Amino acid sequence: MRKVEYPPPLQELIRQLHRMPGIGPRSAERIALWMIQAPNSRPGEISDAISRCTKTVLSCRDCGFFAEGELCTICNDPSRDRSVLCVVEQPTDILPLERTGAFRGIYHALGGKLSPLNHVGPEDLRFDSLLQRIKQAAPQELILALGADVEGEATASYLSQLLAGMPLRITRLAQGLPAGLSLESADDLTISRAFTGRTEVGRS
Amino acid sequence: MLRNLSIRDFRCFTRFDLDFDPGITCIVGGNALGKTSLLEAVVILTRLQSPRTNSLAPVIRTGAKGLVVDGMVDNRHMQFDYSPKRRKLALDSVEQKDAHEYLQVARAVFFANTDIDLVRGTGEERRRFLDFLGSQFFRDYRNILRSYDKALRSRNAYLKMTPARPREVAAYTKPLIDLGQQLTELRGSLVRRLEPKAIAAFNLIGERDEQFGLEYHCGSSADFQAALAASAEEEARLRTTLVGPHRDDLLLQLSGQPAAIYASEGQQRTMAIALKVSHARLLESEFGRSPLLLLDDVFGELDIGRRNRLFATLPAGGQRIITTTSLAWLHDVPAGRLYGIKDDGARGRVLDVISPR
Ligand SMILES: [Zn+2]
Repeated sequence: MRKVEYPPPLQELIRQLHRMPGIGPRSAERIALWMIQAPNSRPGEISDAISRCTKTVLSCRDCGFFAEGELCTICNDPSRDRSVLCVVEQPTDILPLERTGAFRGIYHALGGKLSPLNHVGPEDLRFDSLLQRIKQAAPQELILALGADVEGEATASYLSQLLAGMPLRITRLAQGLPAGLSLESADDLTISRAFTGRTEVGRS
Repeated sequence: MLRNLSIRDFRCFTRFDLDFDPGITCIVGGNALGKTSLLEAVVILTRLQSPRTNSLAPVIRTGAKGLVVDGMVDNRHMQFDYSPKRRKLALDSVEQKDAHEYLQVARAVFFANTDIDLVRGTGEERRRFLDFLGSQFFRDYRNILRSYDKALRSRNAYLKMTPARPREVAAYTKPLIDLGQQLTELRGSLVRRLEPKAIAAFNLIGERDEQFGLEYHCGSSADFQAALAASAEEEARLRTTLVGPHRDDLLLQLSGQPAAIYASEGQQRTMAIALKVSHARLLESEFGRSPLLLLDDVFGELDIGRRNRLFATLPAGGQRIITTTSLAWLHDVPAGRLYGIKDDGARGRVLDVISPR
């Protein structure tokens, strides 16, 4: 007897869902069945939302945060304080900082951290565009809001070498971000405290 | 106390279960039956690392994707799933984000019949000894050690690149120094606490007319930063970090002379055991209870006097799990549970309960 499977289009949907992060084969099957069976699932809207999003949401030219046009809402906002630039590892680190309301300046996401063990070198990070922005916008202060793990430390140290001699103050968030964790997992209060107690990075 | 152990796809075992006595559990059997692996499993369950290897990958049974160790310690259910792709810790069936609480549940000392390598072998053996103890003694030791190791490997990766990457090397120098200084401080403090206990154990087990000495030898000068700067030229030539805690050592001496050269084999064995006893004693005095005492086939090498004195110097009331190839000395040891282990062909390794009947 032939082994019975779902029809190929349904198998394909399950396979596509299973490619997504955090979705195992069981969950993929459950979601697929929900999409085609549940009366309120509206799969057309899901599909539209996905294609609209992948077409229109891009990286902000300046800071790397998510943007609908060339620039994100932060970089487009004239009320932001352009004299303070906050450097983060990932674009996803920006929202937790925004939620605290502790910072009114602008951001720059590097897109990662210096990590030779994961084959991420300076050429893979947005250092060049950072230098350009500093030359153009001439901020007075640069806040390094990088993770407190080894790679975050090394990235901060690399940046302070790179920027040595430039006419700007370089500060770091005060201790208090949990070691080895990205900003993504730190809570609001910890972040606000870290912002208010930032310390100057020694010029080397 | 450890009540039971269940392992899956662990070294030669597909699946194995074992209950322990609160006092002494003894496992008897020939060589290559996996007795050492059972004690190793206890260490991995409680400490998340092997006393035998740096990586857990070789511990997974050949052909299996990952291993599971599971057991009850007091009233806590501990479970550790490990595969190269995934590691999962659970305490009372609650998955743990980090290992801090998990590692508070139980502490252990592993006495191996290869412990003489602590005296005769390279510094790596003695660093492994210090690190295993340090991770159980100081809450932050394990994280600092792992971060230092990452900083070191990253820095070395940049040192090996062509063309040279001085900026990237320098970027990793700062965390290397910060973490290295923390590690040096912890290791120094550990050796200071260990020394009187090791000397006392040596005197109790061995000969009193010789003097055992141990001293922490720092793998850089006292000023790590200066030592690193001084080694820069050679470092650039050899393309690796030459000074730092990864070159630390524990100097062992017998009456002022290097023990690896001047001590007799018997004295070296006594020193190694004294180090392990002091490891147990230090944990006992710090945490108010004895760690698990795992003794892997160590009695064969000892005469009856040393064997009895070793038993007398171990923390009283500490749970003991002992493996042995020979029953000869068993009448000296009041084992609450005595197992025989044998290879039963298709059924694999099986346990015979010898006592209690
Ligand atoms: Zn932007």
